[in-house]
Amino acid sequence: MLKRRGWIKENSCGCSGKGREWRYTDLRSLCVQLLADSVLAHPIDNFGRFNRESRLIVLSSALALYDAGIVYGRDRKQDIGIVGTSTDGSLSSNLDYFRDYASCGRTLGRGNLFIYTLASSPLAESSIHFGLQGPLVFLRYADDPEERMLAEAEFMIRNGDASALLAIVFDSQKADCHYLSGGMP
Amino acid sequence: MREETAVITDCDIRTAYGRGLACCWEGLWEGRTAIRPCTRFDTGHFPSRMAAVVDGIGYGGRSSLAARMLIPLLESSKPLVPCDAVPVLASTTGEIDLLEKNVLEGTGDAAESRLDVFLEKVKAAAGIKGGGFVVSGACASSSAALGFAAGLIQNGKHDCVLVAAVDAVTEFVFSGFSSLMALDPEPAKPFDRQRAGLSLGDGAGFILLMSCSRAQREGRAILGEISGWAMTADANHMTGPSRDGDGLKRAIQKALDRACVSDGDIGVISSHGTGTVYNDSMEMKAYTAVFGRPVPLYSIKGAVGHTMGAAGLIETAIALRVLRERVIPATIGLRDADPEAKNWVSSEKRKLEKSVVLLNNSGFGGVNAALVLRQPYAERQ
Repeated sequence: MLKRRGWIKENSCGCSGKGREWRYTDLRSLCVQLLADSVLAHPIDNFGRFNRESRLIVLSSALALYDAGIVYGRDRKQDIGIVGTSTDGSLSSNLDYFRDYASCGRTLGRGNLFIYTLASSPLAESSIHFGLQGPLVFLRYADDPEERMLAEAEFMIRNGDASALLAIVFDSQKADCHYLSGGMP
Repeated sequence: MREETAVITDCDIRTAYGRGLACCWEGLWEGRTAIRPCTRFDTGHFPSRMAAVVDGIGYGGRSSLAARMLIPLLESSKPLVPCDAVPVLASTTGEIDLLEKNVLEGTGDAAESRLDVFLEKVKAAAGIKGGGFVVSGACASSSAALGFAAGLIQNGKHDCVLVAAVDAVTEFVFSGFSSLMALDPEPAKPFDRQRAGLSLGDGAGFILLMSCSRAQREGRAILGEISGWAMTADANHMTGPSRDGDGLKRAIQKALDRACVSDGDIGVISSHGTGTVYNDSMEMKAYTAVFGRPVPLYSIKGAVGHTMGAAGLIETAIALRVLRERVIPATIGLRDADPEAKNWVSSEKRKLEKSVVLLNNSGFGGVNAALVLRQPYAERQ
């Protein structure tokens, strides 16, 4: 099983195989830097609209794919799946949406906030940007959630559910993205 | 790797028709919809007031809406569920009314609405001690969960999995779907020329899966098999499905391949069929690409509404009944079939000619899931 990894924390990010690291002050400027360094192939559409988890997941996905040498582009879709886990799921986005709805008099919600009230939505943003067409799902194990999710991702590849997967452990401060493949890219 | 057949040995559901598969089937058989103006909360400000809501379950109870729908089903099934079953919970928003209460009334803890917290309640109700996991893949959550469960059994990792699924019509989801202009002001009309959106519905249920060898060893009734499954993503848009249906087409082809059946073996398609213009059109493009000619197709969402994360499980339970009765239900709400769906969908009941069901669900973020369901092996002989 081929394994590569991209990660992002509060002020730094990197990829393990290539041994590269970047420091950053805000995620928008990090996007510009990663675009200049060809980690991102093209600008991320609607990045300003993303919730924080989506931003971290898309950037950590970029670093993991870069680490694995996977080339992507707007017209190139690939059979790579994406699974993710986090302790809180979409809790913070759920609160953002419903507090906004309540503060506006409970008459109409904001669609741009509502779309992130699914735990799988940040993973979908990554799937859309990178053209990942394999399985897309949020998993949360009761015991050892990170280890179990990674083991499940490996099982999905062996089981033929996908030829490769991004498996992401995330919260609102950090994301750790593992690229797993049954063979060389 | 050991290859086992994943069979369904027990199931129960709750929809706006009431509790149990029998009353849901009866409602479908009679061609009446359970969608009506929703009075669970104030819907006066929204473009649509329609939803399929379970009678007698409203705000203000001692536990969440989702818990009051699902937990009694699991408690009743406790004697039938082995304590070593792997519990799997499929949902999109679970006990979200606990979060609503925290925001609106300042009481309780919003974190209690997390799906992993609900999983513990599911385990306690079913009498299961093992770990288990949550599957959340938008409105394909429970069909994805059934696929995961079938995979665990087929490969010999586990021989018994309990999949539970639930989602409730709450102010949270109703206001959200309203904000996306996704709700039809009338009851949903899947595949109709005049369709104008979906209707939300309450839904809860469970399906107990076992390896065929364990089910036979324990003398369990076998209701059907899950012989194929697959998930794909459109990689296209957060709320709009792929215009050409390519993502769903790939999911269907992978599920058929895994089940070792051809498109000619499929007797009926249990479609996602939400009633939105884009979803239903996307599905028809996928089906046309896969089958090339009309195959009988139905949607139950004009009857029980779109039960979100529970949709796949409820539709699987109905599909088992379709296989047993050899009758394809009418698509309730359909009056004038869209030209793309003509000769596929019907407002009348039809006879089932072949014993394999293809079941599909799709969801926000471009998620697609497909399942292939078959009659029990013994009944196919």
